[in-house]
Parts: sequence; structure tokens; C-alpha cells
Amino acid sequence: MGKRPPVVVLSSSSGEDDGGGRRGPSARRSRTPAPASAPARAQSQSASGARKKARRESSAGRGRRRASEPAPSDSLKVEDVKKWLEEKLKAPKQTVGGWTLVLTGQTGVGKSATVKAIAADLGADLCEWTTPVPTLWAEHVHANSGLRYISKLEEFENFVEKIRKYAILRPTSTTSQRKLIIILIDDIPVTSGNAAFARLGKCLTGLIQSTQVPIVISLTHYHKSESNDTAMWNSEDLESLLQGAGAHKIAFNPVTTNSIKKILTRICKEERNDASEELLHQIAISSGGDIRNAIMSLQYYCLDPRRHSSALPTNSTRAGSKSRNSLVPRQDSYGLSSAPCGRDETLTLFHALGKFLHNKREINGDVDIDLDPFPLKEKLRRNSLKMDVPEKILSQAHGKVRTVADFLYENVLDFIDNEAVDDAWVVVSYLSEADYLLTGSPIASYNSENMSQLIAASVAARGVLFGNAHVSSRWHTIRSPKLWQTEQSYRSNKDQILKERFDCSSSSSSCNFSEIVTEFRPLERWIGPRNSGPRSSSLPHNGGCSLLVDRLDADGSNYEEDDDVIEEC
Amino acid sequence: MLWVDKYRPKTLDKVTVHDQVAQNLRKLVSEQDCPHLLFYGPSGSGKKTLILALIKQMFGAGAEKCVLIARVQVKMENKTWKIDTGTRTLEIELAMLSSAHHVEMNPSDAGFQDRYVVQEVIKEMAKNRPIDAKGKRAFKVLVLNEVDKLSREAQHSLRRTMEKYSASCRLILCCNSSSKVTEAVRSRCLNVRVNAPSEDQVGDGSSKLSIVQVLEFIGKKENLQLPAGFAARIATQSNRNLRRAILFFETCKVQQYPFTSNQVAPPLDWEQYVSEIATDVLTEQSPKRLYAVRQKFYELLVNCIPPESILKKLLAELLKKLDADLKHEICQWAAHYEHKMRLGSKAIFHLEAFVAKFMSIYKEFLVATFG
Amino acid sequence: MAPLVPMSQPWVEKYRPRQVKDVAHQEEVIRVLTNTLQTADLPHMLFYGPPGTGKTTTALAIAYQLYGPELYKSRVLELNASDDRGINVVRTKIKDFAAVAVGTTRKAGYPCPPYKIIILDEADSMTEDAQNALRRTMETYSKVTRFFFICNYISRIIEPLASRCAKFRFKPLSEEVMSSRIMHICNEEGLNLDAQALSTLSAISQGDLRRAITYLQSAARLFGSSISSAELISVSGVIPEDVVKSLLAACRSGEFDVANKEVSNIIAEGYPVSQLMAQFLDVIVSADDIPDEQKARICKKLGETDKCLVDGADEYLQLLDVASETIRALFNMPQTLVF
Repeated sequence: MGKRPPVVVLSSSSGEDDGGGRRGPSARRSRTPAPASAPARAQSQSASGARKKARRESSAGRGRRRASEPAPSDSLKVEDVKKWLEEKLKAPKQTVGGWTLVLTGQTGVGKSATVKAIAADLGADLCEWTTPVPTLWAEHVHANSGLRYISKLEEFENFVEKIRKYAILRPTSTTSQRKLIIILIDDIPVTSGNAAFARLGKCLTGLIQSTQVPIVISLTHYHKSESNDTAMWNSEDLESLLQGAGAHKIAFNPVTTNSIKKILTRICKEERNDASEELLHQIAISSGGDIRNAIMSLQYYCLDPRRHSSALPTNSTRAGSKSRNSLVPRQDSYGLSSAPCGRDETLTLFHALGKFLHNKREINGDVDIDLDPFPLKEKLRRNSLKMDVPEKILSQAHGKVRTVADFLYENVLDFIDNEAVDDAWVVVSYLSEADYLLTGSPIASYNSENMSQLIAASVAARGVLFGNAHVSSRWHTIRSPKLWQTEQSYRSNKDQILKERFDCSSSSSSCNFSEIVTEFRPLERWIGPRNSGPRSSSLPHNGGCSLLVDRLDADGSNYEEDDDVIEEC
Repeated sequence: MLWVDKYRPKTLDKVTVHDQVAQNLRKLVSEQDCPHLLFYGPSGSGKKTLILALIKQMFGAGAEKCVLIARVQVKMENKTWKIDTGTRTLEIELAMLSSAHHVEMNPSDAGFQDRYVVQEVIKEMAKNRPIDAKGKRAFKVLVLNEVDKLSREAQHSLRRTMEKYSASCRLILCCNSSSKVTEAVRSRCLNVRVNAPSEDQVGDGSSKLSIVQVLEFIGKKENLQLPAGFAARIATQSNRNLRRAILFFETCKVQQYPFTSNQVAPPLDWEQYVSEIATDVLTEQSPKRLYAVRQKFYELLVNCIPPESILKKLLAELLKKLDADLKHEICQWAAHYEHKMRLGSKAIFHLEAFVAKFMSIYKEFLVATFG
Repeated sequence: MAPLVPMSQPWVEKYRPRQVKDVAHQEEVIRVLTNTLQTADLPHMLFYGPPGTGKTTTALAIAYQLYGPELYKSRVLELNASDDRGINVVRTKIKDFAAVAVGTTRKAGYPCPPYKIIILDEADSMTEDAQNALRRTMETYSKVTRFFFICNYISRIIEPLASRCAKFRFKPLSEEVMSSRIMHICNEEGLNLDAQALSTLSAISQGDLRRAITYLQSAARLFGSSISSAELISVSGVIPEDVVKSLLAACRSGEFDVANKEVSNIIAEGYPVSQLMAQFLDVIVSADDIPDEQKARICKKLGETDKCLVDGADEYLQLLDVASETIRALFNMPQTLVF
């Protein structure tokens, strides 16, 4: 889920992180240009040689080790986990069930780190399932080496089988100072398809219900957006399955920008590296609540002091474009997030479409209208958008422009207020312009074509946003463009007609296609060469073509299939 | 056999509708010096009839035995045009009609590959000179339909072909609007304008037949009783399109004979459908209705009705029911969106934009007049 | 080879003047050129002017007079718009031709100067890139080649090229000159042309001699040796004056439906709309009773429409649009904005 900012707000315990969703104002502070960090850079340059070796050790690793005291994620949750683990470790071994803890949260919020830290604290042994080096399917297929292909799932099943035995064995050894053991399952096999998922589910349920040692399962919330990620699993399904089996769930929130900053500052101090405040701030923001990512970024930036300067100026120039009425709300913040170590912020196409179609805007956007030197007419004025710049959303969605335009076209009418036919016209006319841009002139070179594609996308998205002044934002399923089916059947019909042109009547053979379609075919049922019985005529109220139309309707509005369609194109 | 074919004049002498043009063509052929020809005129005015008759006149009966080569596969090798396309081989399927002396085809059927068709296929045919035992008429005639739909590149290469192979082949081009044929091609051809026959006799003293007369002529040949005004009605309905008039006439005959005095031909179903759309649009103006109209457009498009015909018909239907002021505005927008449609690739976007604009204008008008 | 009756040579070629001094109506140009021809030392040249005024003829005539028919082939390279003239052609073809050294063979009776001539016809349709590429080529081979550029609009030739050439402007032919030429051809071909037809021909060809000759030849083919003015009009694709007039009259009526009917009629008659627009423009511009502002408004629409037609828009809709705008302009109805 690419829009992490709102989540940040939720977990933000200290109120410094102003205005969660739009980090615009906070980031704008970073506009103070490089001079401030110049001496710092010089220093770090001189010092870097000496510390090179030290730094080789991953500072991310070291960051984690310290994590137990004020664990990166919010302390309440850590406290919860600790309490739970302590309880379980003290609890009598014979109780069945309730031995499992599920930690959820996005990557880098410190799920495993917390468990490890607590385990060390409590003096418990941590058993982890180390994923064996897998036999790749390709290896199995190609090499006749006799390697048996073992899927990760199988291995996991074996593992679970083993610990179950172990866990059953465990209470029988009645040594007084029994060893405390926590099992951490960090890496649940990825399953694809229902059968595999069922197997995994069965296996896990069995484990949860029978175990008698505390088991911590950490589940990472991936961005659901990574539609290209074939291995995307349905983590929600898994979660509910685990909970259904009686596991206790603690959800970790993303780390707040502030605590990341604090940690980064501490690391800097420890490493005697004077990264500027701004840099830390930028890193913290662009990490999106992923502490691991933040520390990695810091290390990356510290590797080459020149990057301090390269990262920041681009940023300040971007911020320089005054986003006065926040029509371009966060332009200044995507300087660094597009830098090498920013987090990937892909959106699904549907997500992006949803944003455009629902067209969420600020309620009271007209505060500074009086100050506006160029006041717009009332009907041209729009409140500012509650979202990123449309172009950014488009670029995150990775959709083809054509596809986006088709989808917008198909669905936008649903979101227009039923009274506002003017809006409908504005929207459709923008889409028509976009289509024109997309077609491009025949002599356009590759580059200019690319350019006009981008512009077309922008025209389509912004046209939809601007034109739809009276949104009726109810919930709608997004339909896949019927246009595609229409085009397909148009082509096949055309081929068919062209083919028939030569075998049915000699007269139409010499005619243009359009004449056949508009003149011969409609009358064919009366005077056509095969006068026996009405021929399947063209339009639905003759009953001929309704079958076709039915088919169009049948697969029109299915959300699940839409995904496939998008993959195809 | 359809009447359209049955009563098609087979020779230039028998052409009655465009007798003047036919006469000129006859002279042209008799001088044995035939330039390239470009026939232009609206649909259903008799261009094709004239062309076929002309070919017959040129080659005698030989041309009558048209060999039907459907779906000739043309495989093009890379060698011939490696300059711009590298090593691709292109396979274009194109239906054509040919006899010993002439070849007829619609290069625009090849879509965006029309350029290659023009360059290669035509070149190939022009090169292969017919070998006639009598040594008569050693050139071939190439009839190209719908040249106005050819892309600009294709038209340019057509020009080269015309110059290069003018000794061995004559081109007869046929199109609806000569504005869409480049000046370069037009200036290399003898342009023949074929106007649509008038609905009824204008009485200008020429021996040219009107649509009504043609229908009456056919009626006589078929031994049909035509009630008064019947032919005139069909002529009006056909909109000066002779082919359509004859088709309507035959349809009426099939539907009901003897003709009743107020019988009309059944409307073309797509036209009827478009007028339904017009009614829809006039009764309600809302996004929901727009969506409903869109579905109807889809149905028309699936049935391969050319979008510009839809737009024109829709405009005509709307104009019938509007105030004069609105008419100006609407026709302006129709022209605007038709132009956009031509430049764009998804006709539906532009059709719908037109309808939406109409709704917007019309609603405003309604609110202004009726409050 | 079968005894194919050879397609008669186009009269345009047949009656093309072979000598510079025979070129009609361009006295100043001829005078300067005859002088330079005597010294046989030519600069690069740029001929510009409307079509059919003798630019190509002059260039060819110069080449003939310099080299004579035998050397002509090896010394003169003629490229016109139908040849591909992208930047690559300029780089290779022109360069190759320019680079080959000239022989010293001389033909008696011709000056045969030691350079080659490259004639670039319709140079204004060359891309800017290609023109820029030419610049270098011109300089590199200036010793052994002369370039003749021929174009309609000098503004489309990039400045660096134009400044390297001696420029000659060709003016449109006057009616008398045209008539005398045409009469000459008629005599040669045994045609019978009355005075009215002659003036019609001059009028419809608008100072373009080539067009006039082409029309004449087409008419002769179709209608035999005696040609009337109506026949010339039908061959030229020019629309009879009364059609245009009646369109304007329909617009003047102020009734949309009247205009619509007239437009449908014109389309059914199959007149080419682009041609109609041009003639409509003439009629509008020359109409005395239409104020300038209205004229401007109509002309603006005509311009837009012409662009649309070039893009392949539908003729009926565009013509209807023009008619409707004309009505609105004539009756001062408010202008609707198309963004």
C-alpha cells in the first residue's frame, strides 16, 4: 500500500510530524541550501578514511542490536510482546493452545529485531527456521543430477513436523532449570494457488494447536500494489487463518519519522559521522517507516560524502517551485524518494484509477483565494487535491497510458453527478484530446511520441480530475473497458465481412467496405442471395447480434478478471 | 442477382445516367491514348459502373471473364525495401479481382500497411506486362478503390509508381472525395467528376436520367406496376444515392407486391438505431443517459458502421429537431469532433464527446427557455 | 515489344523552352542570367516564385546551354520532391555526385565549365536537417559544384543556405504572356480555342503556365480539337462560378436549413471541397458589401477548415461548418468559442 503517510499519522506518538499526509511543509524546511552542511561534509571527508573499516560492518546490524531498549517501533507494542513472551515462558507447559504470537507490520518496523532483543533480555534461546538453500526448479528440470526438487513448502512442512515432535518431547524433560525456548518463524513459504495455500494453512494450524513452546510468527505486509510480484500472497488470508487457529496477534505500525530520525542521529553520533540534520530528515521521510531501509540509506549516503550535496540540491530546486496552493502538494518530497534508496512506491493501476475517479479534494481549499493575484472564475476553481500530483500517481501505477485512458473512460461516468452533464462533457472532451495525443502524428519520431504519451496521460488524468467538479463518490466496481471487447469483435466482424464479400454476392465484391456495411448488409435479409430464412442481420433489435452483446456484458464488470486483462496488455 | 447488378450498364454506350461522361470516355479510349484516370464523386453515383464499362470498352469481352482470386497472399521479401524496414518480412492478405487485362483492389483494406501494398504489389503487377498473342493493348489496367483512404505515404509512393510504370500500366483511381487525394496524384491524372444523379428530372434538356427515371425503367423491365409517386418517394429516401435507391426498390418488391400507394422502403436498421439515439439524447441529458448511449454506439461500432457515418446521421437527426441558433453550434461541434476522430484512434471517445457536448448545450438551452 | 501507342509526351515537356532567352516574362532574370552564361562562371543560385513561372525551365535551360545534351547526364543531378530527400540522401547521394571529379572533355559549341550542377527542385519541402547538412556540402565542394535551388517560398529555405546563393525572383505570368504562349501551343497542336475559352484558361490557371498547359492537354484529349470554356472548367476541376455564388446566396439568406440543403447539394454533385473553399474565399474577399470584420471571421474559419480537410476530415461536415459560420458572421451572431 503505497500511501504510507496516513499510516504514519496513526502511529505517530509525538506530534512533531506535522500534517501526516502531506509532508510538504515539513519537508520544505529542507530547502535551506547546502552551505549549512558544507563544513560537515569536509569533516566527514577527513574522518572517513579512518573509519572506513569500522563502517564496513553493517550499521544496520548494529542498530538492531541496540533496539531492545527503545525498540524502533513504538514501545507500547514492544512492551506487549515482551509481556506476552514472559507470560508464556513462565506458563506451565501442559497448556495446549495459545502458544502462538503473530507479529504483523510492513518491512523494517523491527518485528524480528524485537523478538530477538526480548529473547536475549529474557535469556531465552531463539530457534529460527533457517531456510535451506532451495533446489531451484530450473536446476531440477535441467540438471539430471538426481537432485530431488523440494519446494519450500515441503521443507517448511518438514520443519514444522520436526518442531512439533520437539515440542511434544519438550515438557517430558522435567529438568528444573529448563531451557527457555522461543521459536521464531520468520519466513513463511510463499504459496501460489489454493491447493498450496490450503496445505500451508493445515500445516500451520496443526502447529499452532499442538505446540507447547512459544512460537512467534512474523508476517510482513507487503505492498499489495506490487502487481508484478507474482509471488504475492494473500497475507490477510493467512493472518485470519492464524488467528482463527488461536494465535495472538500484535500489529506493528510503521516507525514514525521522528523516531527514525532519533535513531539515525544516534547512529551518526556513534559512528562519528556528521550527516546533516536535513539529510537525516530526508532519509527518515523517504524510508516510509522502514527503519532498516533508513539505516541502509544512511550508510549509503555516508559512503560517499559527495552524495550529501547531490541529494540535497536536487531537492531544494524541486522545492523551489512554489507549491503555493498545494496543487502540487508534495512535489518537494519526491526528490529523495526517487533517489537510489528511497522505497519503491508502486501503486496498482486500480489504486491510481480509484484516486482519479474518486477525486478527493480538500473541503476548505479557498483560504488564499483573495491573495491570489490571478483569481480564477468560480467555475474553473477547484479545491486542492488530496493526493499526489497526478503525474506521479501515473508513474507509480506503471500502466500503459492507453490502458489508463480506456479505464478512465469506461468508469468515469459513474462518478459524475447525475445532474452535471456539463462535467461529463468536459471530462469526455479531455479524454478525446488524450486519444488524439496518443495517436500521434505519423511522422513523429520515437522520442516525441514518448513525450506525447506522457502528455496524453497527464491530459487524461487531470482532465478527469478537473472536469468532474461534482463528484458522486459512491462505491463502484471498476469495470474493464468494454471498448476492448468491442474492438475485438469489430475486427473479427470486419474480417468476416471482407471474407464474405467474395463468396456471397457478386455485387458487393466491387464495393467499398463502408458501402457493404451501410447499404448491402442491412438490406440483405430482404434481398440477399440466400433469401431462405432471415440472415443474422446486424443490429440487436433484429435479434441477430444480441448474443454478442450478451457476451460483452458477461465479462464486463468482474473485478477479478480485470487484473488479468491488465497483465495482458 | 441483385437488380443493382442486373441493371448495371455493361458498356459505355448503355450508360444512361452519366451519358456525357461516358461519351468522353469513349472518345478517350478510341484515341488509344488513355491517361491515368481519377474518378471522384459521392457514393452511389456510378463511378464503379463507369469504370467497369470503360474497361470493357478497352479490352472487349476479355475483361468480362473476371477471374476471382480471393485472398491472394502476397509475401514480400525484405530485399526490396531493406532501406527502411530492415529485415522484416511482411505478409499482407489482400483480396483482389483480376482478369487478363485488369486488376482491381482496395489497397486501403491493408490498413496501416497500405504503403507496402502500393509500393510492392502494384510495382510487381506493373512490371509483369501482359503478353497478348495479338499484340494488342499491351498495358494492364489497375483499378484502385478508395484511394482517398490511403495514407499519405501510400499516396506518395503511388505517385512514383505512376511515373515509373506509365508505359506498362494505366491506373484508374476511384474515390469519394478528391480533396483527400494529394495534389501530386490528382495532377497526374485526368480527373473525372461523377456527380450523384438528381432525384427527379430537372428539365435541363440533357439526356441524363434521374433516379426516378432509372427506377421507372427498371420497373418496366421487371413488369411492375408503380403507383404514382412511389418512385419519387424512394428517390427521396435514397438521398441521391442511386445504388441505395435500387436496393430500396428491390426490397420493397420483396416485402410487398403489388406496391401500395403509400409504401416506403424499410429504413436501414443502423440509421433507425441512430435516430433512436437521437431521441434518447433529446429526452434526457445526464451522465447516466450518456452511458446508455455509449452502449448503443458500441453496438453500432461492433457492426462495423463507420463512425463518421454515425456522426453524420446523428447530426442530421438532431438538426431536425433544433432551433436555428443551436443548429449552428451543434454543427460546429460535429465538425470539430469528426476532425478529432479522424486524427485519433478511438472513435467512441469523440462520438461520446460530441453527444456530451450536445447534452450540455441542449440542457442549458432548455433551462434558459423553460426555466 | 507490343506496338503500344506511346503515351504522348506531356505538352509541358514538349513545349518547355530549351534556351534561357525563350523563358517567358522574366526579363530581368533572363538578362542577368544571359550575362553570366557568357562568362560561364556561375554562383550558386536560388530561384523562387509561384508555381508554373519557369523556374525549373530556366534551371534546365542553363544546364543544357552549358553542357549540351551529351555531357548533361554526367554533369547534372536533378532531384525533386518525389525523391526521398531526407538527411541521408543529402549526405550520400549529393555528396557522392559532388565528390566525383569532372572530366575535361569538352564539346564544341558549349562552354562546359569545370563544375557540376545539382538542381534541387522544390527545395522548400526539404527538412531543416537536410538543409543544414547541405550547408557543409556546399562549402566543401564549392570548387566543383554549383547548386540550383528551386522553391516556391523563400522563407522556407534556411537563412544560411539562402545567403550563399544568388537569388532570383520569378513573377507570376501576366494574362497576355500566358495567352500568347497558349496560342502558340494551340497552333502547333492544331487546336481551336475561342477568345472566351482563352481568357477562362488564363483565369483558372492563375498565372501558372504549367497548369494552363496541362488543362489544355486534358481538354484536348477529352473533347477533341475545338474546346469551349465550359469544357476547360470541367477538366480543371474548378467549380463553376454559379455554384460558389449560390452557396454564398444561401448563406446570405440566414437560414441554416437553406444553407444545409445547398451544402448537401454541393457534396452530391461531387465537387472537391478544398477547391470550393479556395473559390469561396475569392468570392468572400471580393464581395464589396461584407465588412472587413465579417470577412476576417469567415476567412479564419476557412483557414481552420482547410487544415481539417488536409487532416482528412469529412467534407460535408466541414463545409457545413463553414456555411454556418458564414451565416453567423453575416448576421453578427455571437461567436462560440472552440478552445
